[in-house]
Amino acid sequence: MRREPSSRVGLLQGTLELLILRTLMAGRTHGHAIAKHIQRTSEHLLQVETGSLYPALHRLEAKGWIAASWELSEKGKRARFYRLTPLGRKQLAAERSKWEAFSRAMALVLTPADQEVP
Amino acid sequence: MNAFFRKLRWLTERSAREAELREELQFHLEEEADERHADGLAEDEARWAARRELGSVTLVAENTRAAWGWTSLEQLARDVGSGLRQVRRNPGFSAIAIATLALGIGGITAMFSAFDTILIRPLPYANPDRLVMIWDDLNHKGIVKSFPAPAEWLEWRRHNTVFSDTAVTQPATATLSGDSEPEQVPARKATASFWNVLGVNPLMGRVFTEEEDEAGVRVAVISHGLWQRRYGGSPDVVGRTITVNDNPYEVIGVMPREFYFMPARDVAIWMPASFPAWMRRNFSWHDSEVVARLTPGVSLEGAKESMAALSLQVTAKDFRGPHSVIVTPLREELTGKTQTALVVLLCAAATLLLIACVNLANLLMSRGAVRGREVAVRAALGAGRGRLVAQFLTENIVLAGLGAVAGLALAVPAMRFLEMLVPETMGNVRLALDWRVLGFSAGAAIAATLTFGLAPALRGSRLAPQDRLRDGGRGTAGRSSHWIQHALIVIETALAVVLLTSGGLLLQTFQDRRNMDLGLRSEKLLTFETPLFRYRDFHGRVAFVNAELEAILAIPGVVKAGATSQIPLKVNDPQATFYLLAGQSKDSMPGQVALMRVVSRDYLPTIGARLREGRFFDISDQRSESPLAIVNESFANRNFPGRSAIGARFKYGQLNEKGYWYTIVGVVKEIREVGMEEELRPAVYRLLEHAEQVGSEPNGIVVRTSVEPESIVAAIRQAIWSVDKNQPVARVQTVEEIMARQLATSSQSSGLMSAFALLALFLASLGLYGVLSYAVTQRTNEIGVRMALGATSTDILLSFGRRGMALALVGLAIGLVLAAVAARLMTTLFYGFHPDYLPAVTVVSLVLMAVAALASLVPARRASRIDPMLALQHE
Repeated sequence: MRREPSSRVGLLQGTLELLILRTLMAGRTHGHAIAKHIQRTSEHLLQVETGSLYPALHRLEAKGWIAASWELSEKGKRARFYRLTPLGRKQLAAERSKWEAFSRAMALVLTPADQEVP
Repeated sequence: MNAFFRKLRWLTERSAREAELREELQFHLEEEADERHADGLAEDEARWAARRELGSVTLVAENTRAAWGWTSLEQLARDVGSGLRQVRRNPGFSAIAIATLALGIGGITAMFSAFDTILIRPLPYANPDRLVMIWDDLNHKGIVKSFPAPAEWLEWRRHNTVFSDTAVTQPATATLSGDSEPEQVPARKATASFWNVLGVNPLMGRVFTEEEDEAGVRVAVISHGLWQRRYGGSPDVVGRTITVNDNPYEVIGVMPREFYFMPARDVAIWMPASFPAWMRRNFSWHDSEVVARLTPGVSLEGAKESMAALSLQVTAKDFRGPHSVIVTPLREELTGKTQTALVVLLCAAATLLLIACVNLANLLMSRGAVRGREVAVRAALGAGRGRLVAQFLTENIVLAGLGAVAGLALAVPAMRFLEMLVPETMGNVRLALDWRVLGFSAGAAIAATLTFGLAPALRGSRLAPQDRLRDGGRGTAGRSSHWIQHALIVIETALAVVLLTSGGLLLQTFQDRRNMDLGLRSEKLLTFETPLFRYRDFHGRVAFVNAELEAILAIPGVVKAGATSQIPLKVNDPQATFYLLAGQSKDSMPGQVALMRVVSRDYLPTIGARLREGRFFDISDQRSESPLAIVNESFANRNFPGRSAIGARFKYGQLNEKGYWYTIVGVVKEIREVGMEEELRPAVYRLLEHAEQVGSEPNGIVVRTSVEPESIVAAIRQAIWSVDKNQPVARVQTVEEIMARQLATSSQSSGLMSAFALLALFLASLGLYGVLSYAVTQRTNEIGVRMALGATSTDILLSFGRRGMALALVGLAIGLVLAAVAARLMTTLFYGFHPDYLPAVTVVSLVLMAVAALASLVPARRASRIDPMLALQHE
């Protein structure tokens, strides 16, 4: 049986797209693998809902940030593989620096260097 | 843009993409199942777990499709299709819904087109909103708005600081002769500044100049209508010399078709005013209408203040004493009383539309409950709430669209009828279904959809699917639904009561007005005009008038005939004249004004005037040396309260030593000289033989007939032509026609109001019937149980009947309160609207309760006849 994580983190609005783009940095892969990769690398803290994964993939495809093609999976089955486009690569950089700025700001507020309140 | 084209391409590969999406999700499920199987689950179990994790495949697919970006459009198309199917599948319901909406939308569309044409659309002048009319303010003398004098205008024009220019128009008569049949046409004299103030240009030729106006050159600008009618639209009419009042005038210009100006649209000739020298100095010649254009940046309020101050200075010389002026926007002058009628009718039409919406909301809610199962199935299959609401609303828009189309079909004939509401000052206007009106009705349809459709859509989409499915589709909607439906019925009934009461009160006012004492007998009384410009000499004029009356009297079917300087009821510019009683000093004279009429001996008996005191004129009076007069009761009561007026003497018009002293020989009940909607005024009637000192000519003829007046019009013309073969005869009308014309606005508004009220009553009863019928169907089971437990059919009948009557009573009570408020508003809007509430309220209450009883009885009877055995099996 799979070990269920004691505390699972809900995904913030818009972060799923960033995670997908980052996952595809490593190379082309299909939807199921993307979900598993996100779960694994987040040590099972992030659970990707299939209900939102596919709409998000198709949204990114519509925007032209990722492209899709039918290829054979490692088990030899036909699967829809996604890859990052040059536009997507640029967007990833932009989204990523936005996220980092945001999380740094959050961290600064939540754990201030000195505890004095002005 | 890229994304747009990508989506466009996907649209073309639609079915391929559908298949791909299915395959992609299938692949995901298999991967997931494989993984769980590898984790140690049994194969079946692993597949189920994967399925559970994915959730509803349909929903995921639906959401993914949304990313392709065309779903909203596609859904719209599908919903419209579904809406049309619903319409076809329920023809009864759809017919009622569409008819209801058609009445509401058609009514408000037609009313809006009249409202727009009369009150909103720009007038045919440059920057019409900057144009104002200026009147003398004689409120302190009991005269509301008085005509300024040209002398006053000259001062205003010279000294004012608020107008870029001002202009005067004066009444004129014009008889065209020479080129064809002699014909009298409406005419107006105007200063040359008139054209500049209005900012209008002629269609052909030019308008007259200041120099021509000053020099009194005989030139004329003619209307498009006269050009077409009398001169056959010939382009060489400009430059032609025509005969006006026996004088040669050169036609210098033709105005465009849409041009018109106060006081009536049918003015056919404008001639230079060319004030004679005495008129430029005389502050007592009050016959002008003054129009002015505000200087840019000056407000109406600013102009009022500035002009009031200026006028007090200017009129220091006026023998009536200094007075202020009234400055009103031109639009207000043109639309006059019609404005209030239109506002009231537009409100009534809006109320009717609201009732139609409420009614429809109720019908839809009843049906929403019936459709509960369909909704539940769709919700269970993954349709979101927003999606369901959108679907219901689209279906309703389909209904509203069909209703709007049917409404437009109703609006067109209604607009033909409403054209009669256009005030005379604006003339014959065609109401057209143009883009403004179409846009408005589309707006009304959308507003209607939101009003009637939103609540049922929200309600219909709310219930949790499991409850509905468990209910077995019996379609119960629960207590709260009853509560809302009952509230809607009450609202609907209350609104209908407001319309019914207002309509009743208006109808009552109209009836009062129609039965108003006119001071004359209106049946079989013919009137026409014989312009006397060809008889310049006083004695020749008197001789001709008496000769033509003799000739008319000789016609079989004529009972009596008389002449007057003004045909009663027809005056739109009542000019009053000052008088001085014997023994009064001139100081007390200001404020003493009376209408003056020059009449033939038999005029008063001919129109059926009622003598209160003294006598009518007789043959010996015509030859008498001492001038005589008959006055009306207003005159007598004002000047001789509590004593007899007979034998009293007064001077009239000409007040100096040369003026005649008139002796009163009779007092008559007031004759409605001015319109039926005006106050009564003092009036003086003098024999035409004694009216040498007055300018008024007795050119109006009245004939009392024993046969139908129309049948002897030709004989009358012949009789007049036998006296003078060149005499024009104009404006032949019976007094009853004049009355109908005067009452046109109020008869049409009260007629329309009653039509709206009856439709409202019909819709409200339909609503009550619908809701009760639905309740009976819904509660068939319950009724069965109650009957099985011993309730008689009378009990059931009463229980449903009581409910219907209770709803109607609450609606009636609220409606009567609202109606009282509405009636108070209308009192301020309509002249002579002093309603007697009791009869209207009684009739409305009785009618409403009777209709409500009928509407409740039918479903209640059906309930009472239910067979308990069948009812209990009813599932």
